[in-house]
Amino acid sequence: MTEKIKEMKTEEKVSFNTYPRHEQRIMKGNFAASEAAKLCRIGFIPAYPITPQTTIVEDLSDKVGRGELDAEYVNMDSEHSVFAAAMGAALTGERVFTATAGQGLFYAHEVLHAIAHYRLPMVVCNVGRPSIPWNIWSDQTDSLAQRDTGWVQFYGESSQEVLDTVIQAYIIAETLDLPVFVVLDAFYQSHTSENVWVPDQSLVDEFLPPKKSKPYEIDVTNPKAVGGLVQPEHYGKFNYEYWVDLLKVEDLANEVGEKFGKHFGRDYRAVEAVNIGPQTKMVLVTISSITTTARGVIRNHPDVGLLKLRLFHPFPKNSVLEAVKDLSNDVPFVTIERNFVGDKVGAIKQEMERAFYRERSNPIYDAFTGHGGKDVPPVTIEKIIYRIKNNPKDVTWIDVE
Amino acid sequence: MLEIRGHARGGQGMVTAFEILAKIFSQLGDYHVQSFPAFGVERTGAPIQAFLRVAKGEILNRSNVYNPHLIVVFDESLLEQVPVFDGLREGGSVLLNTERPLENFKKELESVFTVPATKISLEKGLGSKSLPIVNAAMIGAIMKLIDADIDIAKIVVGKNVPVKPEANAEASEIAFNSIVGLDKSDLKLHYFLNTTEIEKVDIDENILKAVGEPEIEKYKEPYWFQPMSLNKTGNWRVLTPEYETKIAPCSSNCPAGTDVREFIKLSGEGKFEEAVEVIYKHNPFPAVCGRVCPHFCEEACNRNDLDEGVNIGAVERFLGDRFKNTTPKKSSIQYEEKIAVIGGGPAGLTAALQLRRRGYDVTVFEAAPLAGGMMRTGIPKFRLPDEALDDEIKRIEEEGVKIITNKRVKVKDLENEFSAAIVSVGSHIGSKMNIANEDLLLDGIKFLYDFKLNGNNHGIEKGDTVAIIGGGNTAIDVARTALRLGAVPTIYYRRTSNEMPAIAHEVDEAIAEGVKIEFLTTPVALTGSDNEFTLSMIKMKLGEPDESGRRKPVPVEDSEYTINVNKVIAAIGQRFDEFVFDGNKIPVEQGKIDADTNIPVFCAGDMAWGGTVTEAIGSGNKVSDEVHAFFRSLPYSHEENHPTVVMPVDINFTYYMPTPRINNVVKHDIDFYGNFEEVVDGLKEEEIVKETSRCMHCGECFSCGNCYNYCPDAAIHLDDDGRLRIDYDYCKGCGICVQECPCSAMTFNLKEVVYD
Repeated sequence: MTEKIKEMKTEEKVSFNTYPRHEQRIMKGNFAASEAAKLCRIGFIPAYPITPQTTIVEDLSDKVGRGELDAEYVNMDSEHSVFAAAMGAALTGERVFTATAGQGLFYAHEVLHAIAHYRLPMVVCNVGRPSIPWNIWSDQTDSLAQRDTGWVQFYGESSQEVLDTVIQAYIIAETLDLPVFVVLDAFYQSHTSENVWVPDQSLVDEFLPPKKSKPYEIDVTNPKAVGGLVQPEHYGKFNYEYWVDLLKVEDLANEVGEKFGKHFGRDYRAVEAVNIGPQTKMVLVTISSITTTARGVIRNHPDVGLLKLRLFHPFPKNSVLEAVKDLSNDVPFVTIERNFVGDKVGAIKQEMERAFYRERSNPIYDAFTGHGGKDVPPVTIEKIIYRIKNNPKDVTWIDVE
Repeated sequence: MLEIRGHARGGQGMVTAFEILAKIFSQLGDYHVQSFPAFGVERTGAPIQAFLRVAKGEILNRSNVYNPHLIVVFDESLLEQVPVFDGLREGGSVLLNTERPLENFKKELESVFTVPATKISLEKGLGSKSLPIVNAAMIGAIMKLIDADIDIAKIVVGKNVPVKPEANAEASEIAFNSIVGLDKSDLKLHYFLNTTEIEKVDIDENILKAVGEPEIEKYKEPYWFQPMSLNKTGNWRVLTPEYETKIAPCSSNCPAGTDVREFIKLSGEGKFEEAVEVIYKHNPFPAVCGRVCPHFCEEACNRNDLDEGVNIGAVERFLGDRFKNTTPKKSSIQYEEKIAVIGGGPAGLTAALQLRRRGYDVTVFEAAPLAGGMMRTGIPKFRLPDEALDDEIKRIEEEGVKIITNKRVKVKDLENEFSAAIVSVGSHIGSKMNIANEDLLLDGIKFLYDFKLNGNNHGIEKGDTVAIIGGGNTAIDVARTALRLGAVPTIYYRRTSNEMPAIAHEVDEAIAEGVKIEFLTTPVALTGSDNEFTLSMIKMKLGEPDESGRRKPVPVEDSEYTINVNKVIAAIGQRFDEFVFDGNKIPVEQGKIDADTNIPVFCAGDMAWGGTVTEAIGSGNKVSDEVHAFFRSLPYSHEENHPTVVMPVDINFTYYMPTPRINNVVKHDIDFYGNFEEVVDGLKEEEIVKETSRCMHCGECFSCGNCYNYCPDAAIHLDDDGRLRIDYDYCKGCGICVQECPCSAMTFNLKEVVYD
């Protein structure tokens, strides 16, 4: 040990980026989310508390109360009402933000469809937790269950990424008239204090222009009815237009992420490939905070690569294929699923199989782990790697004994 | 990367301390930091953990800290409860908040340091002895261990604590300099903090092989379909609800000490015999008190805030009447002391009975031909028929009390034969008015005595006008007796109806019967004789309050007038007969007095305090306790307990239906001439049961089931005895049961509760 201390040369190995026109703070993920919303100059916040999201709307209430944020803040009676109010405010052209989790999100399900298919841009943070059996801990089942409501979904790996993604999400939402979820993990992000670089307001203002007024917006001084019955002869056209814009999300996410990198110094893409190259004999596919731990583990496994999905819906098929294009078809992929969507396989494997269909023939193995907030320490990832290397099964449940 | 794990108790703020530590490290250099708690739902005092990672490079791990380089124990009592040292990394260190010698821990731990953080914090006024806030001190100690700059830590601590920034910063610095077991900073921790080397982890292949797939059979039946027995959410609880029987105002306000709520409850269940036993325990005169007591219990009844108090007097009278002819059990004589009671009124008879029940030989000496005291001689038959009193006194004799009547005795007469004397001679001598020709006045107390015991009407004839001076119960009883003798009675009282000491409903009844009352007037002189008197009166007005708190009447100048009447009876107050002390002026008070006698003398009843039958009974109970304590050398105190009583504010009136009170029928519309029959009727059995159902059961669970219905966790059930009980395995301590309890029979407190 003493020898080691003598040999210690820390400085040359240190990676610690600093960013001009930023302030470094130690923040919890929920506060990074609320800070991002403030920096985006949101105008309307309908709020209803639910663990583990509550401190997001609490902090926004503080910010409005202290006069730091000029927004309308309304305490609602339920999440269904929260999203209904969000919809109404978005119809008038307000920049809307709120946050929810688990049961709250499930309760709002009906309105989620309406917001998406009325083409109302907004950004909402969801702090993931499962449904029943009752549980408040980290799990992505709630947001993944809303995959087909038409919302764009990003999953953040760190508090920094949550803050940065909220800013990018408003550009994507307001460019394509689509609502966006930015999902963070319960507790491992929401209640974890870590280094966050908070950009100056002017830096954000240069990047994110004020919300442009749209011709269909409701003028509250001249009210009109919306949401009437759409006849069969027209209905398909609405979906077609929606589909056309949804196809643009992946490219726009990459484009906005790249622009963000140039402006703020932190580069983002729809997906991120780590250690994927000729040496790669296995690829772990992750979303959210498990990614970080997996990054740490593969430092000891030079032959294991990592594919992080940041944009999850619409699934960034092209980006995924591009990221792994040099790999041979016998390299196994392992999807790590902190979700259970009531199917034979997890949500990530479903999407990966659809993406690979007629494109690639790599085996995809599914690993269920970390459900209901069960800790996923490095050894769990090691077990997954060991299992796939030695005795791969289509679906493995890890640490459920 | 340096990994730290902290152990503390919920409520100490360790999670915040770790967040502050993360902020300090970010100020100390280009460190990546990550701090978070073990996510859970811990109650105050439960063992909790917090984690901190600090690294020169990126932190690539988002899981709990299992193998810390440094374990920090904020509360040393955890050492016996939690395996706090589990997973300590080889070469890792432990920092303990303790004042115990370092050697105590050296055997077990290779690298251990201590800091007296609790002592430091308390000296700085941080937290309390039961919950010291040691965060700042522990932060200071950690700074020392990693050889960091305490000044930066002090600034960050001061900025981030919610209160007392200076005291917290100082505590950090004191702790920084108070570490035991450290010569210089711990080089190992400094190394871990600053190295960017990737740690090579060798994991046993057996661990990797066992991926931890579940045993399928085990989960065949989803256990969450069953009662949530696995999920013992009771450990979330901070405050604990509990069923607690509290004191009802009816019971606490009864001067006799009767458990009113209990006999009302038993009567409502039709258990009349058990109910009357509850009364007899403190009061041998339910038939009497049910009729003549002003019902202090009803005055205090919380139901007065909803509609009207429960008619408790009627229930007591019903029980007394029903059981007054039963034969009570007689206990044996256990002690050699013989007790004499002088005066056979309610106080003397009660004291005698209670001492007899305890095993003393007791003899009551009564000057009048019949026992009963003022109940016998001062309360007219139309309020209290003789049978009620006779039967209840008979029961006292059947329990073994000897009563000798027609025997006016002094304490001195009894010194040879008895070990102690209880003097309870009452107040049977009317007070003087100090006006001219006072001797011409007839004394109200004597009038009532003479008429009741001897039929002597003092010459009152039909049509006579009778002036009664006074405002107490004697004045009212005299007036109503005169009315029944055919006279036209008028009461002259020097104050107003508000100040009248007489029982209010007796006044109402007197007025309903035809008694006139003139207020704010008083006689100044009297002339006349036989059947022709002239009273010189003067009008009064109310002035400043006197020592009794009532406004003192003062004469109105030039307001004299005269009235001519056939009889004048004074009833302005009574005092006791000093014959019992041989005419000596002895100051009297409740309990043992100094009477210059050879045996101990105790005092009770009207002559000591009170003025109603029930107060006299209470006085008798107390004096019997004191006499027993005296002879048995037991502790006895005159001090009254003042227990917390359930007040209207504690009652959820929403849960009670307004229900009219069933009142006793009072006969007003009869010809009173020569009619001395009882004017107030009792209630029938079915009316009694119905009236007791109006009781709100203040402070005692009556199994209404509100708590059961409202409990959101279904944690309340009926036990085998049919009692509502809380299953604390599942009670989260929300307090809804306490809030919704109609009658305040639950409490909410910080303690843990375990049922029998």
